[in-house]
Parts: sequence; structure tokens; C-alpha cells
Amino acid sequence: MSRHTGRLLVFLLLGMLSASSTFADDSLTSSGQLRLRGVDARYDDSVQEPPSLTGRLVLDAIGSAWRFHSWIEGGWDGTAHDPAQHSSLLKSFNKVYQNNSPFLEFKELALSHTAGNLDLRMGIQRFAWGRLDEYPPNDLLNPWDYTRFLVKPIEDRKIGVPSLAATLRGSDWSYDAVWIPFLVPYRFPVPAERWFGRSAASALSRSPTVEFTPREPDLPPRTIANGNIALRARHTGDIDWAVSLYHGYDPRPVFKTTTFVVTQHAGRTVIDPGYVPDFHKITALGVDGAGILGDLSIRAEAVYIANRHFNIREELWGYPLFPRSGSYSLNPIGAASGSLDYGVGADYRLFEEALLTVQLQQTFILDRPETLYARQRETVLWAHLRVGLLNQKVETTVGFAYNPEHGDSMAKANVWYLFSDAWKAGLSGVTFTGPSQSIFGRYAKNDELGAELVYSW
Amino acid sequence: MNDLRLSVLSHTLCALLCTLYAVSPAQALSGREVYERVHEVRARSLDRQTEATMVLFDRGGGKRTRTLREYSKKADPEAYKVLIVFQSPPDLKNVGLLIHARTFSDRALWAYFPEYKRVRRIATTAQDDPFFGSDFSFDDFGGPPNLDDYAFSVEREEVIDGRVCSVVAVTPNVRRKYTKYLAWVAKDLWIQLKVEYYRDREVYRTGAFRDVRMVDGIPTPFRAEMVNSKSGHRTELTIERIRYRTRFPDDLFTQQSLERAGR
Repeated sequence: MSRHTGRLLVFLLLGMLSASSTFADDSLTSSGQLRLRGVDARYDDSVQEPPSLTGRLVLDAIGSAWRFHSWIEGGWDGTAHDPAQHSSLLKSFNKVYQNNSPFLEFKELALSHTAGNLDLRMGIQRFAWGRLDEYPPNDLLNPWDYTRFLVKPIEDRKIGVPSLAATLRGSDWSYDAVWIPFLVPYRFPVPAERWFGRSAASALSRSPTVEFTPREPDLPPRTIANGNIALRARHTGDIDWAVSLYHGYDPRPVFKTTTFVVTQHAGRTVIDPGYVPDFHKITALGVDGAGILGDLSIRAEAVYIANRHFNIREELWGYPLFPRSGSYSLNPIGAASGSLDYGVGADYRLFEEALLTVQLQQTFILDRPETLYARQRETVLWAHLRVGLLNQKVETTVGFAYNPEHGDSMAKANVWYLFSDAWKAGLSGVTFTGPSQSIFGRYAKNDELGAELVYSW
Repeated sequence: MNDLRLSVLSHTLCALLCTLYAVSPAQALSGREVYERVHEVRARSLDRQTEATMVLFDRGGGKRTRTLREYSKKADPEAYKVLIVFQSPPDLKNVGLLIHARTFSDRALWAYFPEYKRVRRIATTAQDDPFFGSDFSFDDFGGPPNLDDYAFSVEREEVIDGRVCSVVAVTPNVRRKYTKYLAWVAKDLWIQLKVEYYRDREVYRTGAFRDVRMVDGIPTPFRAEMVNSKSGHRTELTIERIRYRTRFPDDLFTQQSLERAGR
């Protein structure tokens, strides 16, 4: 699809977005959003982003037993630095590095059928398993897009996956089964983009004479054996709880090394960084629950994951200190271990319009080799305070996250003013600190201030 | 003559007794009895579907409009179940609230936010908190309360909108975010026409229920207004459509249904 055709399609989509409205008839509804966002990167050596103009269109058509649901997003993405010139308009299910702008993405596109107590859904879907915010350990069915992932709501990070899902409903029990026939990889920013994070690669890629060419991985063949399956049983009662089993590819990023190659081409230094995303099957057995304890709404979950892979510290990857043109073999960087992920969170209403959410999460690596950057026990503490003011005309959120093992942290805040039911404008800020390989410290050069204007219908 | 005197006397006595009987304190309803009648009317209204518009007014005159759909059902041997789903505005569309009242005093509440695709449990102690930013509380959208959790006393009688009302002071025996409320209960309909919520001695929330129409034999206020005395906000709730004697299936009132906006 040419870029001109792509632009035309995006314009058409935006036109549809602004022209559509909720139908009077309940059987067909639409809603959507247009969002203009500008960002000021606070560090001079960080990449500046042009404004983004993106939209979403959600359509639902409901018959007596059949239901169609679609969630399309598209527009111009300011985070895509130097967008690929000949890439497809549609986001791909096969690629890790996708910096196409304009773009179109089907987050959801599914047909469902209800027969008695059985719901069947087929198509591109996003699932929300587990109970916790930010990193629900049992939420393994959808890979994430890691661009801006720490400042986006979790559902916006998720990539919809082609899948077949069934739910059998009882009075207190329900049972879910999901089959994802092939691996859809997570997505990463390219090294020249701000959300690639802090690394030698990202620093070098900003030089006009250096071109970084990260390689796409070879994905596992699309065979039945390479599909992902998940089962869950849920119970509703004084305590809502669920047990789940997932067998499939780990959606969390891990890499393997290839060959680090430096070449000179037309006066430029071209670098293949020598690592590619690596995909491993895991088996995860999880449990989650939610209940009320006094004034607190409590939720918790835990999952044991077998055959999880981790990467060793970056200084052990074997990069030459003074690379010249040539090929360099790198060290193996993977290490497999079982892990136990668990966490607990609580909501507490401080006063009428102020809700405080706190959460503690830990990952325990059972057979941790000494070469890992991650400690045997890694902790993240989260706190969010959401306050509505002036009859909810002003909405403010303050969030803080802290990883005590490495001393890294993230603080973010935003304030929205609602002009009307359709229009709102917001200001936001985020700051990160910590060592370069830590969860939040990786983005320590990504402090930013942002302004957004949103039209919804 | 004596017979005539006796007859007049007996008629007079009879009239007097009847009058005394009518106004006798022994026959005046106690606060608890008033609320047993209110409870009976509210319990009869539980099987219903309602479409309503809620308008939030701020002190400066600004307003936000929300539309919502409510389904409820009597759920013997449980008390009742309620599902409420917002239809608009866009940022609240498909946000929902599910209530399972196992008894009239024991409720479980869940909220669903499409933005997170997750169902959240809401602490029962939050039932007096604002209902999604309005001046109504979550409790205002629940079913009738458990009468044993309250003490009732009739304070006086007053006329509101041409209807004679018992003014009943209702004091909770359980922990609530108000210390008491005064309710003006119409004696011919057994519904509340006005409510004042107190924190200590101060009124902080006042509700008025108007445009009462009989729908399927159930007195139904089509307009309700709740004013927050401290903030100056007020919220108007107008019933656009209401249908009683619905017989919704149980699976309308599940978390899965909440996630699908009741569809």
C-alpha cells in the first residue's frame, strides 16, 4: 500500500470518526476519540517528538445471538522518529520494530456468538486476566507495544491477537478457554526513537553518520504446536477468585545474541547490534482473587512460571571496547529459570472524590544465576492518587513507582480539564531515575512534559 | 324521646369514638411501621428496567449530562440484584455497576471500567460515596435497606406538593457516612418525597422526588434532585422510560454481563 493511499485511508478514517455518532438503535453503536498530543522532551540529548494526531473508532453491532465488535486506531504517531518510507499502513502481526506513521491498527475485530451459557468469540482480541494494575502477572495473552508503555494505560499497550475464545457461564462459576494459533511478537521502538531507552545503541543512533539496523527475529513457524492456549476457572462470592493455566510463548521481551557487525557504507557507519528478540514457551499456573476488608478493596494474584528466560547483565554480552569495521561474536546472554510472580493491591477512598491505589509486586527468580542484572527478588511499589475536583471538571492523577533493589523510580502526574462532555485538555509530566539497566532507570533520559487535546463522542 | 336521645347519644359517641380512633396515638403509625410500608413499595418496584438522564450542575452553572440504563430484579432467596450501565458521555460509556444484595443489609458491589477492561470490587463502606461524580450516592441506586439497621421516629407531619407526609428521623445503628436522615414520606403513597442527610447537626445533602406517577400500580417519582449543601453542586435525575414486572434472567446480573454492558 503506497504512502499516498495510506494517508488517504487515514483521512477517511478520521472523517468517519468525526462523522459517526451513537445510533439511536441499540443494536448498532459507535464511539470514538480524536487525540492531539505534543511532548517536550526535558533532556537536550533526548529525541524531540513531533505532535501526534491519532484517533480511535469503536463499532458494535449486536443481534440476538451474534455480536460484532471492532476497535480501530490510527493516525500520525509522533513517537515514530523518521518513519519507515515504504512500510505498510497496517500494523503487522509479524514484526517487532514498526515505526510506520501514518498507521492503522485493529486492536480488536471480533465476531461472537452466544448459545445458552456458552459464548464463542473469534477474531482479534485483547484479554484482561489477573487483578493487578500495571503488570498483572497472570495477564499473559497479549504482547505489548513498548513505545511509551510506562505512561500509557495497560490496555493501550496491548496488541490484539487473532484468537478463538470460549466462555461457559454458570451461576457462581465461569470457565474460559483461549487459543491463539500463532505467536504475535511484542513491538519495540527502533534505537533512534526516544522510547528505545538508554543504551549505547540509542546514543550512537543519534549520530548522523551512524545507522543502527536492528534485525527482525525469525518467528516460530505457524504450526498448531506453536499456538498458545489458556484456561481459566472463575468463582464469584465473598471473595472472587480464579485459577488459570497458560502454555505458550512468553510475551515479555528477552533477547539472544547473533553477530555484532560494523560496516562502512556510503560514508556512514552501519551497525547491526548483534541481538534479536528471542521467544520461548512457558507454562504458567496462576491464581488471583479480590475481596473487601473493611474500607479496603483488596486484590492479589500469584503465578508460577516454568522455563522463563532472562538476560544476563549487558556488560557481559561481549561487545568489543573499541569496535572497528568487522564482525564480532557475542556471548550467549540467556538464562532459564522458574519464577514466582505475586502481588497485592488495594483501593482506599481518602475522601469523596479521592481514590488512593497502592500495590506491591515481586518477582522471585527461583534458580537465579549470578550473571543476571535482576536480583533474586525484584520488588516494585506503586501508588496512585486520583482526585476529582470542581464536580469532576478537573481530574488529577499522581503516580509513583519505586524499585528498591536498584533504587530506580518513576513519578508522573497529569491534570485534565473537561470543557464539556466531548472536549477535554490535559497537561502531564513524567520523570525517571535510576541505573541504566533497571526498570525505570532505562528511561532516565525520557523525562517529558506533555499537552493533549481530546475530542470524544 | 328517650330512644331518640339514646340514638343521638349513641351516634355522637360513635362519631367521637371514630374520630378518636382515627387520631389515637395508638393507631398512628410508628416510624418503623411507616418504613415497613416504604420497604414494601420499594420491594415491589425491584423488578424493573429504567432509562434515565442525569444532569450534574456545578456552582458556576456548568452542566454535564449522563444517560444510564438500570436493570434490577428480586432475587429470592437473595434480596435483589441491580445492574447499571452508562450509555453516555463518551468517557463513561459502558462503565457499569453491579450490586448483589444477599440480604437487605449485605451487599457486594462491583464496578467495571472499559478503559482497564477489569471488574473492580467496591468496598461496601463506599455506598454513601458519590455515584460516579454525581450528588447521588451508590446507596441511592440500591434496593431497600435492612430496617433492623436503623432506628425510626416520627417527628411531625408536613404537607409537600399537596400530600400529607410523615416526617421520620432515621438513625443508622451501623456505620454510615451520615449520622441520620429526615425523610418526608407521603402517607398515601409510602414513598419519600424529600430527604435531608445530616452529618452531626448539619444538613449536607438534600433530595427531592417529584412528578410522581403511578406505573403498574407503583408510585414512581420521575424527577429526583439531590443537592450538596456544602459544594453547591446539584444533580437532576429524570426517568425517561420505566418498565416494571420485568423478569430478567440471572445471567444479566453477572460480572461477565457487566463487562459486556448488559448486552
